[in-house]
Amino acid sequence: MPFVRALIHRHTGAPTAGWELGNLKSIWLKRISATVLVAVLCGCGGSRVTLKNPSIPKPLIDPLPMSVAARYPANFDNFVHEEQVIGKEKWIIDLGRSNRLLFTQLFGAMFTEFVVIEDGADPRDLQIDAFIEPSIDAFEFSVPNQSQTDEFAVWIRYRIKISDSQGVQVANWPIAAYGKSQSSTFGGDEALRRAAVLAMRDAAALIIMQMDKSTGISKLRGTNTRSNSAPLTVIPDDVSIQTTAAEEIPDDPG
Amino acid sequence: MLLRAVVAVVMGATLSACVTSRLEHIKEAKTGILEGESIVIMAKSYHLGNETEEKFIKCVGDSIGRGRGGLRVIPNQEFVDALFPWFEPRTAPSETKGLPALMSRPGVAEIIKEKRVRYLIWLDGDTDKTGGGGSMSCAIGPGGGGCFGFAWWQNESEYEATVWDLDGLEDAGTVSADVSGTSFLPAIIIPVPLIARTRAKACKGLADQLKLFIVADEEV
Repeated sequence: MPFVRALIHRHTGAPTAGWELGNLKSIWLKRISATVLVAVLCGCGGSRVTLKNPSIPKPLIDPLPMSVAARYPANFDNFVHEEQVIGKEKWIIDLGRSNRLLFTQLFGAMFTEFVVIEDGADPRDLQIDAFIEPSIDAFEFSVPNQSQTDEFAVWIRYRIKISDSQGVQVANWPIAAYGKSQSSTFGGDEALRRAAVLAMRDAAALIIMQMDKSTGISKLRGTNTRSNSAPLTVIPDDVSIQTTAAEEIPDDPG
Repeated sequence: MLLRAVVAVVMGATLSACVTSRLEHIKEAKTGILEGESIVIMAKSYHLGNETEEKFIKCVGDSIGRGRGGLRVIPNQEFVDALFPWFEPRTAPSETKGLPALMSRPGVAEIIKEKRVRYLIWLDGDTDKTGGGGSMSCAIGPGGGGCFGFAWWQNESEYEATVWDLDGLEDAGTVSADVSGTSFLPAIIIPVPLIARTRAKACKGLADQLKLFIVADEEV
């Protein structure tokens, strides 16, 4: 086995052609530098993951025949979350405009008429049946180092506030969504990205399945009347008029 | 020359360590599949605690679709997207008694008919390391590097496939694969891995059994 013999000679330092002192020093330096570089890179870990406008498939549902408007908070356009694993790596996930895109697609499919209004616009000026204000209450993720598995997991807690055409809040509904992906299949960055997308799809599925049952939004159908006289009634987040943090899907169809 | 050939053959035979496997199937309804009909392979939801690896699902799908007698397999993600949101991890039916309600949802039956999906196969299970030992140390220096030592570990791959017949909206039966093996890693300068590929073996065994299970048009 000539290869093994050569390796043993190298290991014992037996001189071979080309191993003069000058060459040895330069080879030493290169090998040590390479070793140190690899060790530093391996020790770093962590990453910045960006979601590039993920979309949900077109839902297979009959839209509710109502006119609905929504307004999104500022962080729906540039949501960034950072987690520092204690003593180790820092992970950053940049959702960008993903939440805005998600809810626009979702509500666009759930209702026959849907429009997004920006800050400053008064929904009572519109001829709509209901006004929706989604927001993110919490966003968390775990990486394999924390869970001691090979999985990335993402939890997102959204809050859906619904008002009628008069501006009276009729529902304040928190929902918790979850997504999980294996790093062994996709690699770290891609697995975290996929877990985030799955969590958003989970939220979409939950909203499609449960929103009407939990908030009664379909009862607002046909109630739209113009009125600027009634002031907007805002109910604090910790008080729910019609809320179900439902995560269980009933066996019977809705 | 003859000695070298013998050494090569023995090394080739032993470079993958031994595995023991057990494959079973339980048939609860008549099966059979027509030309053009297809199957979909899914993992049971992680909301139910399942941890089947996505690589394994892909492996089973590829194996079933390959070769003589290969079946038409609709990619998992294509099926889930086409039927969004009814096959998300949260919403996918966990039992066949949920199928009539699912099929009554707008558009679901039409999509399934359009894609000619006959069977849904739900995979459950995973591969775990069940034991191990030994030690290995490696070093690198200016003259080169190498490893010395001996390590071993035992893997167990247990998977079960539940087959749903979407024609009769019923449970057609289950196929299970249980494969275990011990891998070794002796090293004298160069490590020589002898890997027991339990997951690959389970994938192939399960895929072959599933093909026979689905294609065989036999009475229960």
